[in-house]
Amino acid sequence: MSAVLDERPVDAAALQRISAFLLREARLLDTEGWDEWLALMTEDIHYWMPAVENRRRVDKLGAWEPGRGAYFDDKHLDLSRRIARFKQPTAWAEDPPTRHIHVVSNIEAFHTEVPNETRVYSAFVNYRSRGERDNDMLLGRREDILREEDGRLRIARRTVRITQSLLLSKNLNTFF
Amino acid sequence: MSDKDCSGSCHRLNQPPSTEPLPYLDRLMDLEQGRLSRRVYWDHAIYEQELEKVFGRSWLFLAHESQLPSSGDFLVTSMAEDSVIVVRQKDKSIKAFLNTCPHRGNKVSFSDAGNTRQFICNYHGWSFGIDGALRGMAGQELFEQSGMNKSEHGLHPVAQVASYKGLVFGNMDPNAPSLDEFLGDFRYYLDVMLDMDGQGTEFVGACVKSEIHCNWKVPAENFVGDIYHALWTHDSAAHAMLGGPVAPVYKDPDSYHVNVNGHGWEFNLDIVGNAATLGDKEIRKYLWSIQPQVAKRLGEFRSKMIGSISSCNVFPNLSFLPGQNTFRVWQPRGPNKIELHTWTIVNKSAPEQIKERWRKGAMLTFSPSGVFEMDDGENFEFSTRSNAGFLARQQDLYMGLGRDTRLSDTELPGNVFRNQVNEANHRAFYQRWKDLMAARSWAEVPLRDSPSLGEEAFKHDEVRA
Amino acid sequence: MSKVFLIKRQDLAPGRACKVSAADKTPVAIYNVEGRFYATHDLCTHAEASLAEGEIVDGDCIACPLHDGQFHIPTGQAVSHPCTVDLRTYLVIEDGDDIYADLSQESEEAAAAI
Repeated sequence: MSAVLDERPVDAAALQRISAFLLREARLLDTEGWDEWLALMTEDIHYWMPAVENRRRVDKLGAWEPGRGAYFDDKHLDLSRRIARFKQPTAWAEDPPTRHIHVVSNIEAFHTEVPNETRVYSAFVNYRSRGERDNDMLLGRREDILREEDGRLRIARRTVRITQSLLLSKNLNTFF
Repeated sequence: MSDKDCSGSCHRLNQPPSTEPLPYLDRLMDLEQGRLSRRVYWDHAIYEQELEKVFGRSWLFLAHESQLPSSGDFLVTSMAEDSVIVVRQKDKSIKAFLNTCPHRGNKVSFSDAGNTRQFICNYHGWSFGIDGALRGMAGQELFEQSGMNKSEHGLHPVAQVASYKGLVFGNMDPNAPSLDEFLGDFRYYLDVMLDMDGQGTEFVGACVKSEIHCNWKVPAENFVGDIYHALWTHDSAAHAMLGGPVAPVYKDPDSYHVNVNGHGWEFNLDIVGNAATLGDKEIRKYLWSIQPQVAKRLGEFRSKMIGSISSCNVFPNLSFLPGQNTFRVWQPRGPNKIELHTWTIVNKSAPEQIKERWRKGAMLTFSPSGVFEMDDGENFEFSTRSNAGFLARQQDLYMGLGRDTRLSDTELPGNVFRNQVNEANHRAFYQRWKDLMAARSWAEVPLRDSPSLGEEAFKHDEVRA
Repeated sequence: MSKVFLIKRQDLAPGRACKVSAADKTPVAIYNVEGRFYATHDLCTHAEASLAEGEIVDGDCIACPLHDGQFHIPTGQAVSHPCTVDLRTYLVIEDGDDIYADLSQESEEAAAAI
């Protein structure tokens, strides 16, 4: 994470555009717009959601790190395979459909050294309801690198950090 | 590591009083008819007995040696519902202790893993060495004046700790047979995963934990013998990763169920069938490339199991999938809930980039976000939850597939059955379960599958012709 | 000057610590830090523990075996929780293979520290 003092926030218009982008992304995920959602990723996307360990503060290894446990550690091909499964008529865990809500908040955006890339922080609530009484709520933070290509914003890097170390969900049939 | 390696002070581990077995065990199953009562998944009385008679006496998986390379390295895991600290000693042995302070009972270690010089309870600052001994506390002189002898108040040790080829197990019962006896001839099959080239295995990544609202036996029996479900449950994942449906495995004549004293492995001999689901040709190439040397070490037959369409459960609740290399324990948390602990296992000698591909591929397919595992969760949960219904619970389940498939003229050790689409391993799992539930001590547990192989069968470093 | 024989050089390996009792029963911990010898009072200033039973960490600190509080060996300074009171050090005199301590004097490093 960059030092707080070095952060250069984007201007109001850019922040508005970025917020609209993230909210539309959330609506695509809420409505099973899988293909349009995948189209928001760059070809070199790294989509990473590490698993969380409980470690003491003195332990230099920390709670999470590249190369350790992860729920998503995906390139573009991996994301497309997940979506291929969602679209199969035999994806039984999706039939009847799960109802998703993605709430996105705490959006902040900063310039990076790369002119067409912005670092964007956000917090989220991911809530799923399935059947009668299967409800799963996960909260966390995201750190994204958004890249402007051909006048359009895309996600080039996403790191998702949930708060749970023991995942209280039987599956993660969702994106964050 | 010696098998009867009692951690040293067994008098520090009170044993539960031996209770009478449940009187209705015989009504819970008719294995010859292929019937199982749903009560095994639901009844609290059965679950409480399992804690004593199945988990309190069996060898339970604790760790892989590779997770604890240096002295002071520790991790926290479970033996059924007991939280346990596993720690590498200065003399390189491994000890395990109940993760609870003997003073007022507080949890001792709140972290999942790390390295430490001592364990200090957050409540009153009692300090324990990595060998579990109580080193001291503030106001020690007052305790001494009260007649306290520190050596009697160390952490409670797990009665026995032993390893087999990198896998560390613990047993709460000091009178349980050794780990080698418990695994018996099943080690012949375990060597397919653990001893491909003599250099052993390691875990990569970390432990990923999740909660599923099912009885622990539902996924355990799935892994012990159920490839059949893959055709329907995992059709979507197969299309996503392989571009087509799961192969019609029930048509393969060269596939098997094998089991020994409740441990079971179902498999075919296509070498890479499971590994193929990772959608990574580098992993398939790696397996094809090592298969000839595995054949020299373990024989042609076993060399074809290294990544084939298969699954395994070591009784009671340690499962893995060769090929995807996912390694897991279904930790019971009551009759209707488990904590799933998952790791990824690889050969130590595999190239780094192959290990990395496996670390990612195992998670992509078999994890809470795994494209295969995602459809299992609902099956496991609702197979358990339907038994809330009083009338549902009076009905029996079918478990009779493959009753006519036993092979008697085979050189393979253990009980061998033709065709991996079968429920022979399920029946063997429940036979062992019932034998333990019916026994007041290990002395009353029948040894249904005596060892036919000598110990040298598991030592492969002698030159084979 | 109260010069006390502690140990022969070859009897304590680098990175290790051990304990001796002075004539007046003062417990003295001896440390071999990369070939250089130091001595302090053996009792931790926080709780009743023998520092000689602890471990030398970070090169020149002793970690108490009880609660892992650490002291800087050359100066005796308490450097980590829960230790707050500095350790009494003793001046070490190395005479060939024989290691002595003068229990009436602090180590040079302790004396020089503010």
